[in-house]
Amino acid sequence: MKTKKWLAMGILPGLVLLAGCGKKEAEEQPAAPAASAPPSAPAAAPIDPATAASISGTVKFDGPAPKAAKIDMSQDPNCAGSNTAENVVVADGRVANVFVYVKDGLGSRTFDVPRDAVTLTQSGCRYKPHVLGVMAGQTIKIVNADPTTHNIHPTPKNNRDWNESQAPQAAALEKTFAREEILLPVQCNQHPWMRMFMNVVKNPFYAVSGPDGKFAITGLPPGDYTIAFVQEKLGEQDEKVTLAAKDSKTVDATFKAQP
Amino acid sequence: MPEKPIPEDDPLVSRSLAPHYLVAMLVLTATLFWALWDEDIGQRPWKAFQNEWKTRYSAFLKNAHSESDTSENEVEGNPDYLALKQAYQQAAQSAAPRIKEINEKLRDLAAEILAVQNTFTDRRAYVSASTYAIETETSASSKQSKQSDLAKYEQQITTVNYPDGSKKTYDYPHLEETYNDLRNERTALSAELGELIKPVNEQKAKLDAYVTDHMVSLTPPQLMGLLDKTEALTPKIMQINVPEANIVDRCESCHIGIREPVKLTAASMSAKGKKPDEYARAFTTHRDPELLKTHDPEKFGCSPCHQGNGRATTSIEKAHGTYEHWLWPLFPRGNVEAGCQTCHAADMVLVSNDVGWTLSEGKDLYRQRGCVGCHRYEGYDKEPEDLLSIAQQIKQLDQEKTGNLKQSAYLMKQADAATTNDEANHLNDQAVALKVDNSKLDLRLVQLDRTTKSLLQDMKKVGPNLKDVRLKLNKNWIPVWLKKPSDFRATTKMPNFRLTDEQIKAISAYLWQSALTDPLPKHKPGSAAHGKELFETRGCLACHSIREGDQMEGGSFAANLTRVGEKDNYDYLVRWVHNARERTRPYCMYEKRDIGPEDYARKGLPYVFDLEHTRCPNDGHELQVQNMTVMPSLRLSPQDAEDVASYLVTLKKQEPGAYPDAAFMDDPQLKEEGKKWIRHYGCAGCHEITGMEDEGRIGTELTFEGSKPIERLDFALLTEVAQRGSGEPIVDPDDLARLPEGPAKGPWYDHKGFLEHKLAEPNIWDKGKIKPELEQLRMPNLHLTKEQVQSLTTFLMGSEESALPASYQYRPLDYRRDIQEGWWVVKKYNCMGCHQFIPGQKSSLMTMARYQDTQDQLPPKLLTEGARVEPEWLLHFLTNPALNDSETNRNGVRSYLQVRMPTFSFSENELGKLVRFFQALARQPFPYIPDHAPVLTAKETEMARSLFSSPAAPCLKCHATGDPAHDRTATAPNFLQAKGRLKPDWVERWIIDPQAISPGTAMPSGLFRRENNHWVFSGPTPPSFQGYDKDQTKLLVDYIFQLTAEEQRRVSASMGHARASSSDIPSGANAAGGSGRK
Repeated sequence: MKTKKWLAMGILPGLVLLAGCGKKEAEEQPAAPAASAPPSAPAAAPIDPATAASISGTVKFDGPAPKAAKIDMSQDPNCAGSNTAENVVVADGRVANVFVYVKDGLGSRTFDVPRDAVTLTQSGCRYKPHVLGVMAGQTIKIVNADPTTHNIHPTPKNNRDWNESQAPQAAALEKTFAREEILLPVQCNQHPWMRMFMNVVKNPFYAVSGPDGKFAITGLPPGDYTIAFVQEKLGEQDEKVTLAAKDSKTVDATFKAQP
Repeated sequence: MPEKPIPEDDPLVSRSLAPHYLVAMLVLTATLFWALWDEDIGQRPWKAFQNEWKTRYSAFLKNAHSESDTSENEVEGNPDYLALKQAYQQAAQSAAPRIKEINEKLRDLAAEILAVQNTFTDRRAYVSASTYAIETETSASSKQSKQSDLAKYEQQITTVNYPDGSKKTYDYPHLEETYNDLRNERTALSAELGELIKPVNEQKAKLDAYVTDHMVSLTPPQLMGLLDKTEALTPKIMQINVPEANIVDRCESCHIGIREPVKLTAASMSAKGKKPDEYARAFTTHRDPELLKTHDPEKFGCSPCHQGNGRATTSIEKAHGTYEHWLWPLFPRGNVEAGCQTCHAADMVLVSNDVGWTLSEGKDLYRQRGCVGCHRYEGYDKEPEDLLSIAQQIKQLDQEKTGNLKQSAYLMKQADAATTNDEANHLNDQAVALKVDNSKLDLRLVQLDRTTKSLLQDMKKVGPNLKDVRLKLNKNWIPVWLKKPSDFRATTKMPNFRLTDEQIKAISAYLWQSALTDPLPKHKPGSAAHGKELFETRGCLACHSIREGDQMEGGSFAANLTRVGEKDNYDYLVRWVHNARERTRPYCMYEKRDIGPEDYARKGLPYVFDLEHTRCPNDGHELQVQNMTVMPSLRLSPQDAEDVASYLVTLKKQEPGAYPDAAFMDDPQLKEEGKKWIRHYGCAGCHEITGMEDEGRIGTELTFEGSKPIERLDFALLTEVAQRGSGEPIVDPDDLARLPEGPAKGPWYDHKGFLEHKLAEPNIWDKGKIKPELEQLRMPNLHLTKEQVQSLTTFLMGSEESALPASYQYRPLDYRRDIQEGWWVVKKYNCMGCHQFIPGQKSSLMTMARYQDTQDQLPPKLLTEGARVEPEWLLHFLTNPALNDSETNRNGVRSYLQVRMPTFSFSENELGKLVRFFQALARQPFPYIPDHAPVLTAKETEMARSLFSSPAAPCLKCHATGDPAHDRTATAPNFLQAKGRLKPDWVERWIIDPQAISPGTAMPSGLFRRENNHWVFSGPTPPSFQGYDKDQTKLLVDYIFQLTAEEQRRVSASMGHARASSSDIPSGANAAGGSGRK
């Protein structure tokens, strides 16, 4: 368990080096991963699966659903199909693509970074998914399924930014972000409509609402939590919830239509 | 107390000390007077000078006649003047009849030459064209028929109408002979005329000197002021004191007239009717007052330039510092320019009027004669040192980069683990900044790589590449040459090494056995006659000379080729003439060996190495891909190169086969011995030799040779001879003739004596010593002339570690630095062999008989080059003087010149220096921002056209148009090249007064005159100019800059040049380029 974290810590600076400095510098990867790993949590009790609770709910929308704008992709003939703006996706009063996560309540607990990567696909000159949750240090695999070249250009506030080109059929890019950052925008400068958001969090308790507005977070230890609902246009709403052992509570949120 | 008897002989009574006292008193009194005398006179010799000055200068001023005063007659009425005048008139009279006779003959000759020339040039053009056709004809039968046609043509008789009305008929060979005879006659007569006029001119000079000695350019009141000042002078120490430079110079206490505003010569300061004495010589004004303007004595004093002991006032010897233990004695008269070197070490050419030529020659000789091959000298042959320093810089930058990367990785790790976002962002910013730093370092590294390439390209050797001896040389000639190079070629740079026969055998064996054996392409023999013509006209003689002794002609920069046919292989010469830089094998400094085709084959690469392919196939390092010679490529066609080489191999006094067989050169046992001697004598300082590429210099560094205490100059057993001045140790008459002031007459135990003797006979200090072979002095005899010894001595005497503050060193940072750096390049490639850079400087070509009648066939003068051409254009032209990528066998600008601007393959580094040099020399702003070119209205264009084609200003008569028929007689560039090449402001100055820009140019002055504050055409102007009140020069220039090929063709046709150009190529490639066989 410890090794994984160490491994991740080692890979991260190495990757950034690779990205930023060209091949010569790749030889200069730091020899040993950091004496300065994040301070490990002071003996928080491990989560007992037997007492784990869960929350689920629906993100609702109050007001007339905004009409999604059509996007003209004719500038690049390789971008086939139709496309609509994804900044606010509302169907039947339910909001999709809302990022829901445990904002507060876990104390100083730390969590292992999952070994599996999350995948971001560029297909039809769109990002799939539009909103992505990932743990700090977890690998993000970026795939280009289009017959055209994209560039992936995150513009973070608290992480280092980078901007890399990805040719059609190029190998997947593997990236990580080290620090927690909600609504980290990612865009492609060649296809200006392409825009998505990464959400880098420090715990594994997060979800993205589906087209029906539903989400579910499981495996939470009992405690008092603040659950945050974040949407790129509509902003953030926080809900408090107290979970006892094996609780299964519903937490809903409602965004109001903006004038 | 008993009374003592008085002794009979009481000294108090019987003896007197009076005489003693008297003597003592006299001595003391005398001492007092002596002390007083010494105090007032003995220790103050300058008082006598100043008193004498008062007398003589007052007398001079009273006798001087002001030029502004109408008193010329007074001077001219003086009997001394009359005597001189008589002598002059006598000389003139006695020479006059013959001069008149010659002048008449010359006038007639000129007319006759012109008459013959008209017929001859036409026929010669036909013959050249036919010859060319024959040479390029591939079918044998038509070749033969053309040859018989030509022969018939040559037999045809033509008539020449002589100016006296007579007619003569000639066939072609006789016509040519007549033409040459006439020209030779003219040359001989001109020479005789020069000899006749010489004594007359000398007398005239004396007469003029008398007038300048008695006439001054001051007004009478100014003269009166000077007189009053002089008469009021009370003797005192005159001192220049510059505390920050520690200069205290009292020289003017005796040299009191040095800064006077009138010119004082030793003659004018002498007492009447007497020869100049030491006073007269001391009272002269400074030899070059211009120098004092740039070197204000109040800042520079005297001793920084002249040396001597500026503080001393008690005797001439003391003040001049010419006594034992004073380290900086006054520079002797012949070496006075040594003083310039103490601050101007960074200058290659240092000339102000008449001053500086000796020193500049010394600096040049130091490089050209290869002194620098053995003796390091700061600033000379910097490339190898620069390469080393760049290698170090690269290493350092690489380290810095690695450090940055490590630090950046560390910072990023810190950032990822930071507790606050602010802290993380701060650390990330630092990490990013380091990465940006690395990008900057990367760019710097790229620059350093390019500089490395430049430096490899700039690196030259004084002598030829000896790795090629097997390909190039007649084997049997080598040992004969080594015995005494100056016997084979009197003017060679290769010095005489006093080698024993054993050493010669061993050295030649090593050279032969270590040389490359790559096959050379075989060439068929060419036409030696055509080769000779090319050799004499393409400009080879700007650097090389031909014939020996008094018959020698051409430049002294490169080898004399009189006997080149005895030593060089034909096939090698062809390659050399075609492109001397072409190397047999590229050399890798990293692997320290020559890279061959096998290395390329191993990597599957084609065996191609040139300035575009400079990387080593094995390890990617920069290769030396050129021969390290300054010889450029003349862009001759392969056939032309064969022709020139064919001519060169005919230059010989004996057959190559006549050299005794030197089979010992193949003896492998001699090889190691030879290597030892080559290393011992430092041959690799000037030559490339296999296995010796990294040899250091074997001699002592000479940067501060002039500062060495005399004790450290080893006069060996001759120390006493030199100190006492008891005779001249050099006995060899040749070496004796090298001493600038002849055999020693007095003591010569000083730097001058050491250096002159060393340079005249380098092993002189071995005289009388018994030394083993390896310890004998190695310095070879450079067989210098005495002028060259003087120049080098001056240069080395001035090579001092200056005690002045660094700010006194002439190391400017502005445009003057560009000038300073540019001269090194200009001298390196002997640009002055063809071009004039300084008014009055003669290029090698300018002095040749061939160009005396055809000045317009000389390469252009470069007096204002930076103001004339755009820097971008110049850069392009210097890279590719043909101004054409495919057709290179031509001149890009002056297509009508036979002499060729060569391709020097300058490195980026030297290109930059040259372009900046020309801009700086003309004080042009850099970078150049072209003026906005105005567009002429239809009416203005019409007006300008009428001016351009006016019969009174027939521009197109001389300027090339691209029409081959017309351009055969063109003597100026095509107007279509003006745009992009010339600066309009310069062109306007040029058409107003070309003679003021390039004296002697074929372009006439006086085309425009000043009227109502405007420049107007001197000839009749067309009616359309009525009421035009702007500069007509400007109008014409604007027109020229917007001239199109079509417009030029129209104008040309309307002017009666029937066969106008049909080609849009800006310059006539076909005039002198193309075949060159006119």
